[in-house]
Amino acid sequence: MKLQRRMSLALALPVLAGLAGLAAPAAAQESNVRTAPWPEAVIEAAERLAVQDGGRVKPLYTYASFTLLRLHGKRSIKTLHDERLTPVEWLLDTLFFPAASSEYALFLVQNSEVIDAIGLSIEGKKRRDRYSFNELRPGLARLFQLANEYSALEEKDRTPVQQQVWILASNVDAFSRLITHMDFARLPIPLRGGELLTGIFDGRSSIRFVDVLANVGRLRELYEELAPGHGEEAPVGDAADFHGLSQLLSAASELTNGTESLALVPPAASREETEAWLSPSDLFLMGFQEGEIDPAHTSLLGSLDEIARNRNDPAGMRDSFETLLAAQTALAEARGELGKVGLELGYYKAKLIDRSLYAFVLAFLLTAFMWLRPKNRLLYWSTNGVVGVATLLVSVAIVVRCVIRGRPPVSTLYETVLFVTATGAMVALFVEAIGKRRIALSAAAILGTIGLFVANGYELLDKRDTMPSLVAVLDTNFWLATHVTSITLGYSAGMLAALLGSVYLLAKLVGWHAGDRAFYSSLGRMVYGVLCFGLIFSVVGTILGGIWANDSWGRFWGWDPKENGALLIVLSQLVILHGRMAGLLREHGVCMAAAFGGTIIAFSWWGVNLLGVGLHSYGFTSGIHTALWTYYTIQWGIVGLGAVAWLRERARSRAAVMSAVADVELGSTHDLHRGGTTA
Amino acid sequence: MRKPFEMVLRGLSSLWLSTSLLIMLGILTWLGTLEQVDYGLYEVQKKYFESFFLVHQAGPIAIPLPGANLVLCVLAVNLLLGGMIRLRHGKSTIGVFVTHIGIAILLVSSAVKLYMSDDGYVRLNESEQANWFQSYYDWELVIARETESGERVEFLVPQEDLQRAVGPRSVTFSSPELPLDVEVAYYHDHCRPMPKGPAFDVAVPVVEGAFLKSLPRQKEAGENSAGLYATVVEGDGSRTEGILWGFGSHPWTVEVDGVTWILDLRRERYELPFTIELADFRKEEHPRMSMAKAFESDVSVIEGESSRPLTISMNEPLRDRGYVMYQSSWGPQDARPGDSLYSVFSVVRNPADQYPLYACIVIATGLLLHFLRKLTFHVRAEARMA
Repeated sequence: MKLQRRMSLALALPVLAGLAGLAAPAAAQESNVRTAPWPEAVIEAAERLAVQDGGRVKPLYTYASFTLLRLHGKRSIKTLHDERLTPVEWLLDTLFFPAASSEYALFLVQNSEVIDAIGLSIEGKKRRDRYSFNELRPGLARLFQLANEYSALEEKDRTPVQQQVWILASNVDAFSRLITHMDFARLPIPLRGGELLTGIFDGRSSIRFVDVLANVGRLRELYEELAPGHGEEAPVGDAADFHGLSQLLSAASELTNGTESLALVPPAASREETEAWLSPSDLFLMGFQEGEIDPAHTSLLGSLDEIARNRNDPAGMRDSFETLLAAQTALAEARGELGKVGLELGYYKAKLIDRSLYAFVLAFLLTAFMWLRPKNRLLYWSTNGVVGVATLLVSVAIVVRCVIRGRPPVSTLYETVLFVTATGAMVALFVEAIGKRRIALSAAAILGTIGLFVANGYELLDKRDTMPSLVAVLDTNFWLATHVTSITLGYSAGMLAALLGSVYLLAKLVGWHAGDRAFYSSLGRMVYGVLCFGLIFSVVGTILGGIWANDSWGRFWGWDPKENGALLIVLSQLVILHGRMAGLLREHGVCMAAAFGGTIIAFSWWGVNLLGVGLHSYGFTSGIHTALWTYYTIQWGIVGLGAVAWLRERARSRAAVMSAVADVELGSTHDLHRGGTTA
Repeated sequence: MRKPFEMVLRGLSSLWLSTSLLIMLGILTWLGTLEQVDYGLYEVQKKYFESFFLVHQAGPIAIPLPGANLVLCVLAVNLLLGGMIRLRHGKSTIGVFVTHIGIAILLVSSAVKLYMSDDGYVRLNESEQANWFQSYYDWELVIARETESGERVEFLVPQEDLQRAVGPRSVTFSSPELPLDVEVAYYHDHCRPMPKGPAFDVAVPVVEGAFLKSLPRQKEAGENSAGLYATVVEGDGSRTEGILWGFGSHPWTVEVDGVTWILDLRRERYELPFTIELADFRKEEHPRMSMAKAFESDVSVIEGESSRPLTISMNEPLRDRGYVMYQSSWGPQDARPGDSLYSVFSVVRNPADQYPLYACIVIATGLLLHFLRKLTFHVRAEARMA
């Protein structure tokens, strides 16, 4: 008798084709399709369910949302009947109507060469398109074979197509686990055996997994009674009982195989005793090993079983979901684990980041009108108000995330973007409050819009939970609060200075406010001021990083790429300040250097992560080459145009001087001709 | 005579020089960052950041550049002269002055770290003790014997002396306390012993059918395994040849006048002023994940008869008499539940350990003083213009 936990993904890949094949008969038997939309009450209850995933307890809403995003590239999906499903509705379909869900065009394939590689036809499909599980099914064996081969290569050594194959295989694996997850509740287990075995189940010929779980103690006793001892060949007692029991246990094990990806059951023990939540597979394994199972767990699994049976009965389903939620809540609250789940659900449902983005976009539009009607006070204050609201929304989002995670504001790359956006907008609003020249206000709107677009873009690209568990070295709120926050504030100020510097250069180029010395002088002072603000945080943040490294790794400075990136920012800002004091850079030069400095910050913030070397491996990311090089090109272009503007201005002033000199000379000659004196 | 001196002084303290040096340091940092992809940190650190001069290869073009060491030295002079001595002292520059003092502290701390510190690691199994730690990269030749009382007498040859034994040019090491001389030749930074087959020739000696095959240096310097040919010369002139390899599992033993001498090529070792014993190592993972959540080691610091228990964990090192021990790694990586684990501690002796913290406080104070003053002026100027 072999009852083992399922293998990890990397090891499981060779057998996944088999698993996917296993899903087929289950799905085929499942002929029922959902006959009505999911009731609101069911959706609400499902969203509030908690699941342990990625090392933390989170709402099922979050789990469904990021799973759909990872597989589909979007947070909504259409059924064959053009019904648009939310992530939770899709997850419910996948769990309870796997046959229907297998027909949805779920899997986003970026390059049709992947489909070619697994021997399927791409006729009628675009180069980048979505495929259903059933469309991919004939190619799954080849897909997993290739993925297994490519898993031997490091990610950086894989070709884009190989990487896409690997990603598709992982996604199909995740989906195949979901569509088979509820097999234990959907499929009956045939019962054959002698009286001892059938007697446990009142002589029934077919039982359900929950029946097995409810009687796991008696089954264990029976197994111990019947199993042949060491060196014995034949089972003790009735052979039919033993074989029937073996088949029963195998079937129960098989039905729960692969359910580990969705752990919905909090343990009955305290968090100090055991942190890991349980899946049906864990419950069966644990119950059989220990000979007993907590009644609360049986009841919870029983609710899932009822949901599966009542899947086309809205009223029954709602009641079963409420029972499930109540059972889970009781268990989780006893462990003190549900405190943040409601808040997280509220955070996502409130869509604070999206709303902030809309407000920033509105502010951006208002800014355009504001410059067209510069004397309209109402427009000016409206823009201020909208930028303020947008900044407040993103700031509230950051605060709520801090509360949910119990962490300072920045501990992931995604959070650096939110923080840079919020603090950049705040600094810009502060600068605007000092000068009231509309420039910093406009910069706040632009920075906010770009920042939140980048945040959303990164989330779509990364497709993973933006509140992940942290590796051991990052598990220190003191250093996250001091070093990381300071460094990110430095990024924020540097990006704002780059934006203001770019505005200065482009304004000069197009002759905007030409001749308005006060306008340019004020803008130049803003750039300088923001750079100074940024320098404080960049220097302090960089040194604090060294002190943290000294505490963690035993050296203050190790020339690691991320450390070097931080140093480059500090050096670039010092160069600007010293160059300014030395007279090497004047107002225009400072703005050119600040605009160029934006690319240094982008290199430090994102670029070094692409190098794939260094100790800061928790910050690695991929797929941002294009965005990064686009930004580099734009900024270098602006610096180049700034140089053109400077040369043109210099040529003009020389011409003006020459003209003035010529005028003076002409005047003198005239005077001479008039017979005046040369004195 | 005074004029040239003043010109030099003015040049060395100029803002123009500061700006140029900062740009140069930025270029070196940028090049050194990109080069790590191909050459690894150790090599890049030696070439760009711990050198006085270097040649950067930009495709087919060789560009001579000053190393970061040189740039930092000149920057220190520039900072001292321009940023502190010749700086116009007054209310307007007090923040700048304080900031420069902080940077000077930082530069001093990096110089102290570079020239006066030792760093390495010690690996301990549970219940194991050590009163030494070893280098990550450097090797030493140890010639040792055990006395009748069981004590170990060691004679050490550091790596820089071994590196003089280039190719067949041997270097002899002797001591009046040693009844033997050791000639070392063909020192390799990275090599592997190989059996000599009949189908090929080698340019190095073959000892008992084996030779040292030279290998290109690894990107990760800790993966380099040094090797050398050693010849033990006894008082009567008799010679015994042997091969020593850093990653070899057993030392080489030679019998001289009835005494067994041990020759071993090992990582350079440094003594600790106390003994450390690992009681227990714990590794905690996030639930239902293989991601590490925490590592910690229960250790005892033993001095004579006294023993002090404490826990070393990530971000919580042990600091004792100038030595700092950090939880850096563990193993074996393929251990199964219940297997005995070992813990690896990074050990650093750095007299300037806390200087960066002081520097950070001073710099932050200076910058705040300076920029708050500037901000006040800016606000006033804007108010006037409004």
